[in-house]
Amino acid sequence: MSLNALRVLLVDDEADFLETLEKRLKKRNVGVSCAASGQEALAQLEKGPVDVVVLDVKMPGMDGLQALREIKRRYPLIEVIMLSGHANVEVAIEGMELGAFDYLMKPMDIDQLLYKLQDAHKKKTIHEEKIKNMAG
Amino acid sequence: MGRLKACIQSLFSKKEEEVPANVEELRNAFRARYHHFKLLLSANNKALEIMQEMEAALTGTEPFGMTFVRSRVTMVAANVWQITQHLNELAPGKYEGLYERFKEIQQKINPFIRAGQEGPGGGALVIPLTAVNKEMADQVGSKMASLGELRNRLHVRVPDGFVVTADAYRRFIAHNELQAEIDRRIQATPVEHPQRLYHLSADLQQLIIRSHIPPDLESAVTWAYQDMKAAEGEDVKVAMRSSALGEDVAGTSFAGQYRSELNVSGENIFQAYKEIVASKYSLPAMTYRLNRGLRDEDVAMCVGCVKMVEAVSGGVAYSRNPVNIRDDAVYINSAWGLPKSVVDGTVSPDLFVISREGPRRMIKTEIPIKTHKLISFPKEGVRRLPLKGDERTAPSLQDPQAMELAEMAVRLEAYYGLPQDIEWAIDKTGAMVLLQCRPLRQKEPPHSSKSPPVGGLPSDAVVYQGGFSVSPGVAAGKVFMVKKDMDALKFPQGAILVAEQALPRWATTLNRAAAVIVEQGSMAGHLANVAREFDVPALFGVEGATHRLEADQLITVDADANTIYRGRVEALTAAREPPKPLMRESPVYEALSRVARYITPLHLLDPDAVGFRPENCKTFHDITRYCHEKAVQEMFQFGKAHKFPERSSKQLFCDVPMQWLVLNLDDGFKEEVRGKYVTLENIVSIPMLALWEGIVATPWEGPPPVDGKGFLSVMFEATTNRALNTGVRTPYANRNYFMISKHYVSLNSRFGFHFSTVEAMVSERAAENYINLQFKGGAADFDRRLKRVYFISAILGRYGFRVDIRSDTLIARLENREQDFMEARLRLLGYLIIHTRQLDMVMANDARVDYYRQKVIKDIEGVFNVAPSSGTSTQEAKTSYPSQPVGSISDKGASLRGC
Repeated sequence: MSLNALRVLLVDDEADFLETLEKRLKKRNVGVSCAASGQEALAQLEKGPVDVVVLDVKMPGMDGLQALREIKRRYPLIEVIMLSGHANVEVAIEGMELGAFDYLMKPMDIDQLLYKLQDAHKKKTIHEEKIKNMAG
Repeated sequence: MGRLKACIQSLFSKKEEEVPANVEELRNAFRARYHHFKLLLSANNKALEIMQEMEAALTGTEPFGMTFVRSRVTMVAANVWQITQHLNELAPGKYEGLYERFKEIQQKINPFIRAGQEGPGGGALVIPLTAVNKEMADQVGSKMASLGELRNRLHVRVPDGFVVTADAYRRFIAHNELQAEIDRRIQATPVEHPQRLYHLSADLQQLIIRSHIPPDLESAVTWAYQDMKAAEGEDVKVAMRSSALGEDVAGTSFAGQYRSELNVSGENIFQAYKEIVASKYSLPAMTYRLNRGLRDEDVAMCVGCVKMVEAVSGGVAYSRNPVNIRDDAVYINSAWGLPKSVVDGTVSPDLFVISREGPRRMIKTEIPIKTHKLISFPKEGVRRLPLKGDERTAPSLQDPQAMELAEMAVRLEAYYGLPQDIEWAIDKTGAMVLLQCRPLRQKEPPHSSKSPPVGGLPSDAVVYQGGFSVSPGVAAGKVFMVKKDMDALKFPQGAILVAEQALPRWATTLNRAAAVIVEQGSMAGHLANVAREFDVPALFGVEGATHRLEADQLITVDADANTIYRGRVEALTAAREPPKPLMRESPVYEALSRVARYITPLHLLDPDAVGFRPENCKTFHDITRYCHEKAVQEMFQFGKAHKFPERSSKQLFCDVPMQWLVLNLDDGFKEEVRGKYVTLENIVSIPMLALWEGIVATPWEGPPPVDGKGFLSVMFEATTNRALNTGVRTPYANRNYFMISKHYVSLNSRFGFHFSTVEAMVSERAAENYINLQFKGGAADFDRRLKRVYFISAILGRYGFRVDIRSDTLIARLENREQDFMEARLRLLGYLIIHTRQLDMVMANDARVDYYRQKVIKDIEGVFNVAPSSGTSTQEAKTSYPSQPVGSISDKGASLRGC
């Protein structure tokens, strides 16, 4: 599984954060697209395939948990990693009950985030193969 | 050789195996399982790491804030949840009960970490001072509550005015939606970097100052100010003073860390208000809260707004000596102009000491030359004015005034039942006005041995004698000159602060400073207050200190004998007690220690015990331990249960079949193995190969010659210890078996009487690398077993492992190091597992023990080329909190245990 195959969508209302993270992930050969809100993220997902969504928990409008619920409903195979500026056990557990792959906290070490992305991607790949096997 | 190979190959292929038809499906299922297992291990490791961090923080010697508590608890919870989830993926339906346990524990944790304990709210935004008394501290802050009490119940003269309340503060923060943003920025900043903290502080203050005053607050303040104008005249100026809630917890004296604005005109009241509120996040205030374990959310900033007093002179009165609890005289510091110059340490004030017993009399006066005074500008603000003529040398307070003030101090102490710290001023009419009154903390008196050590020091050892002590004690360290803010940020741990003035902002260094020396300042100043609170010896009034001393010069400060020595005077510093852990008993510490009760203790110690069940999981650590154990079992069982030969265990073949079983979890073999045996060449597991190299590196000397007692002790244990006799305790207890993948190994080994488990993850992902070792048992009596455990612990400590010993079980951990480092440590472990097998027999004989220690170290450093790790694991771990020192023994009944 090469890194090039990994496609990530970053969702955060903080423009600076988004821009920096996008740059740093691209340098590490990750395919990155960005969205500034939950609604925008859903629109992006309509347009092209994504493996892992990195989702800010606290955003104006549709908040992270709502967006997560919607993403999982429409695209159950996409893995979602919650990335939050606010430590909150209840939100973390609720997120994972809704199917989030992990709940991480800012500031996040870029390499560790990359490992998490790879692990989430691998989970998705295995899941997809399983479905393929069952189908055929 | 070739023939042997061919022979082995035929041996392998000859063996017939039942191959199920749906092998592709099984292979997939196994891959999925292995991925869950890997994620479980990674979450398990992370959870243990954070628990260890929490335990280290609970030693209370290093500061941490609520952000630390919340983020660590959240991280632990998220990881333990994942562990539970992955185990349930490995064995669907089998461990559902764990979720319930998890939720129960989470419910218990929640109340301690819930953010923002908001006050009742909806109360008055502004309260006139005429309506304030000391019972209202939760609305107006303790400073203004006590001013109201002085005015309304003691009928002491204080300036009139009003208070902008705690509810007003909450209203202001909520109106601008500031709290979430502030919390987010704090979480994003590593607090242990003074420079980052400095920027954070500046950003947060800007954020607050740019915010808007809500309309209802604006009109309430405007009305209150109109009332003041009506009473005091059209151009009345005000002094605006911070009066924060949460200042008076557990012996903390916030000592004016927050801002006060003097001589503010009506048009600038709101700007000043915002600046004072912003000072909640000033660098000294943030550092102070961090070091004292105070919670940000407990601090609501009330602001007192009182008529500006045009002081002719002013200062601070202490109803007792703050640096000597046995001295009951009243101490008064006084300067020309506004009392602020005394508090902020920019002048050397006059000192009056007045007896308390019998008729008051002046015991001592010191009237130094005063160079400046602080006065109000006519329109707004204050300025420093150089003094001329008589004012330089004349006392700034007349004796009768000093007596009146002493009388007042004694009276206020009697009223409050505690020594008091009083800020006062003499106005233009000659009347005394009190501006502030708060409890005073007194220090223990200096140690009895005041004189230089016995035998004396050469006279040239004394650099300086004089000045006055504002915080007792002795300390040695290197001189560090502080002139500007940047110097304070760079202040090194354990250095001695040397500065010209006792400025309040130097207080940010006091968690790192060994001692303080300044040229100017007073015992009533803020820096002196905080030095006392942090137990930092401080000598003030040291003439020419910044010239007399050189940067980096090693000196000893004796603040009990007012002397500075060259070099380190061991005789003086030796007897000093280590500083008390300041975090203990603080609200933040309390929060962590309460949540930790549901997180770090481990009750499920023995996987073979009947009680090793989900319903007995009382903590997150229990769940972690339980899941790990079960996950390993589930992985091990899978190959067997499904008649899946390529995923059932193989016997290691190394020239001959060996007593080692190997289970390939994923990509641990170069190619698939169908038969019964696997050769070493076919193994590509990085951590297993490293362990194996250690196991076979040097031949074992065989059991050490046993002394008579040792042998008897073995015999005795073998007949009494049931665990030693039962051959099979778990399905795989009596053999040595490896579970491997390319980057993972788990080795359970049992040699005769002792068991060890090694688990390691080693790859290029240094942040995920770890080694866990568990070592226990042995045949000799408890004492000898314990000695062996200590023996091994000392060796592991030498090479960078963190070791924890409970009973005769040793648990060692190492993490986050590069691949080659991890491999070297695994070789070392392999060696130790083999070569310490029966060392418990000889542990009673010190000479033998020493022989073995030498031999082990020689082998490790010679054969494996491993160098001892410098320092402790603290430097190796990525975390910012010190772990237990290497080889230290946890005295807690159940602390951390590697799985």
